[in-house]
Amino acid sequence: MSEIIIESIRSLMSNKLRTFLSMLGIIIGVTAVITVVSIGQGTTENVTSRIASLGSNVIIVMPGISGGSGRAATQLSDILSVSDVEKIRQMCPNVSKVAPILQRSSNIGYENQNTVATIMASTPEIFDILNLEISKGRKLTYEDEENFENVVILGYDVAQEIFGDEEPLGKNIYISLNIGNSSIKKLFKVVGIMKKLGSKLMYRPDDSIIIPFSSADERIFYSQGKVNSIIASADSSENSQIAMIQIDQVLYDRFDTADKYRFISQESIMETLQETTAILSFFLGAIAAISLIVGGIGIMNIMLVSVTERTREIGVKLAIGATRKRILWEFIFESVLLTFIAGVIGILLGIGFSKLTEILASDFNLKTSVSWQSIAIAFGASTLIGLFFGIYPASKASKLDPVEALRYE
Amino acid sequence: MNQKVVEFINVKKIYDMGEVKVEALKGISFEILKGDYVIIMGPSGSGKSTLLHIMGCLDRPTSGKVLIDGEDTSKMNDSKLARLRNQKIGFVFQSFNLLSKLTALENVELPMIYAGIEKRKRKKRAIELLEMVGLGDRLNHRPNQLSGGQQQRVAIARALANDPPIILADEPTGNLDTKSGEEILKIFKMLHESGKTIIVVTHDPDMIHEGKTLIKIKDGLIEGVEVLEFV
Repeated sequence: MSEIIIESIRSLMSNKLRTFLSMLGIIIGVTAVITVVSIGQGTTENVTSRIASLGSNVIIVMPGISGGSGRAATQLSDILSVSDVEKIRQMCPNVSKVAPILQRSSNIGYENQNTVATIMASTPEIFDILNLEISKGRKLTYEDEENFENVVILGYDVAQEIFGDEEPLGKNIYISLNIGNSSIKKLFKVVGIMKKLGSKLMYRPDDSIIIPFSSADERIFYSQGKVNSIIASADSSENSQIAMIQIDQVLYDRFDTADKYRFISQESIMETLQETTAILSFFLGAIAAISLIVGGIGIMNIMLVSVTERTREIGVKLAIGATRKRILWEFIFESVLLTFIAGVIGILLGIGFSKLTEILASDFNLKTSVSWQSIAIAFGASTLIGLFFGIYPASKASKLDPVEALRYE
Repeated sequence: MNQKVVEFINVKKIYDMGEVKVEALKGISFEILKGDYVIIMGPSGSGKSTLLHIMGCLDRPTSGKVLIDGEDTSKMNDSKLARLRNQKIGFVFQSFNLLSKLTALENVELPMIYAGIEKRKRKKRAIELLEMVGLGDRLNHRPNQLSGGQQQRVAIARALANDPPIILADEPTGNLDTKSGEEILKIFKMLHESGKTIIVVTHDPDMIHEGKTLIKIKDGLIEGVEVLEFV
């Protein structure tokens, strides 16, 4: 056995350029697979962790999407209202907390500083549902809501931007925005600052300010009880599906159709993501398989040339006592060794490329991750290709007629 | 001492070339005794190459029996024939047929690798054999670094690797100058004296001065067997 290994290495070393060129197909294939899979996996992990930031028991109700066939899909507005929030609160036993949300981007400022922030008008429950923590001051209270108070909790980044080192608590900021033809400018007193929280799926608390729903409805948006979305939390992660069904029943009763509203939950997004990832993986796998097969055909081609070139050598080996089986194994081993080495090079290059991608795309916070599974699969696939595409040339070599082979010039 | 190492019993070889059937051997019977030095001679097209291939177990007869060292080859499969070639026959070719990528030493080791002899033992034996043919200082040379005569001596060392009873040579001096050829014949003589059975297939008439028995073939038949005892 060890002689066969040495023999194969010697044979591959005797024509280094050709060996390298014949490996190139497999090298490129394996490199591509490792790189693409690592980027895909890294991105999936990244997205997954972002989705998980929402909390597994959080359910968001959004207005449905109309149109779609023929014309552009638009989100239905003015569908959901505070009365729906009330019904959900009363009729869904597994919903522990529920809050309306009115959301709008607007200008805010203090003295000479101003910036653009997202106004999130909601009730105190939102802090518990989205797990929003306070670093200074306080959260919204039910008194704020009942008394239509003009108070505001600032997101971390917003506070930094307009106050800098100055103490924001107790200061009045203005919120100005245009609703229809009228422009509004109102003062709100800062009562709390949130911790830096990162993104919560579709919400970015760091860039937002939170004000009581009642005063926003009455003094800024004039929305008369209409809400942009409803956010709820189930009493436990296990019950989130049940809670969603309960909410669905309430809303279906009201609208008599399921088209006017839709749900967003960690689970449903994960499902969509997994479907997308599966489709993507399938296509990448198909491309990888094609490139590896093309590489394999290249290997077979070069092995056939090698058999022809070494006809006489095979004849001599047969004459001095090599069995056909031995000749077979020599050639099979050579092609497996060829693709195995190509696989190793491909894996190393793939790891290199995925690290390089990470460095080049550091602005996008793109992480790559080379998994042991993908390395194992790349090793396995390249070795199997060597075996599969090596068998035919090897069997051709082993079936040569020794007399003919010895006569071959 | 009258042991038969090679025995041909009514051996025929017919090549089927589609329309035409070529009868290369038309029913040949002879025997070669252990320790003999046989010259097989005949003009080209006489069937002597076919005879050589069948005797060397590289080819099978269409009909008839071939016994090598008492064993009937017609009943053997390819692996058994390979083993027989490995153990009983040492080939010496006109064009040396050394493997160009291997050193002299590795070339001589090759038949012993196929025989499954362990590394240290076969290396020792290969060195001894190369020293015997006068190439003790050329162990790690590759064939293209050696002269024709030296290459043929490596080939003889290779043929002797597994200590086979039969040395089968095909025009062993055909590609060599007179002086190198004489050296090869000297080695053959030495081997013959040590008890090996030497069989040389040739059309060189000078070879009859070397052997003990002459088998002449013509048109696929034995034309005559002569005893050459004027050495």
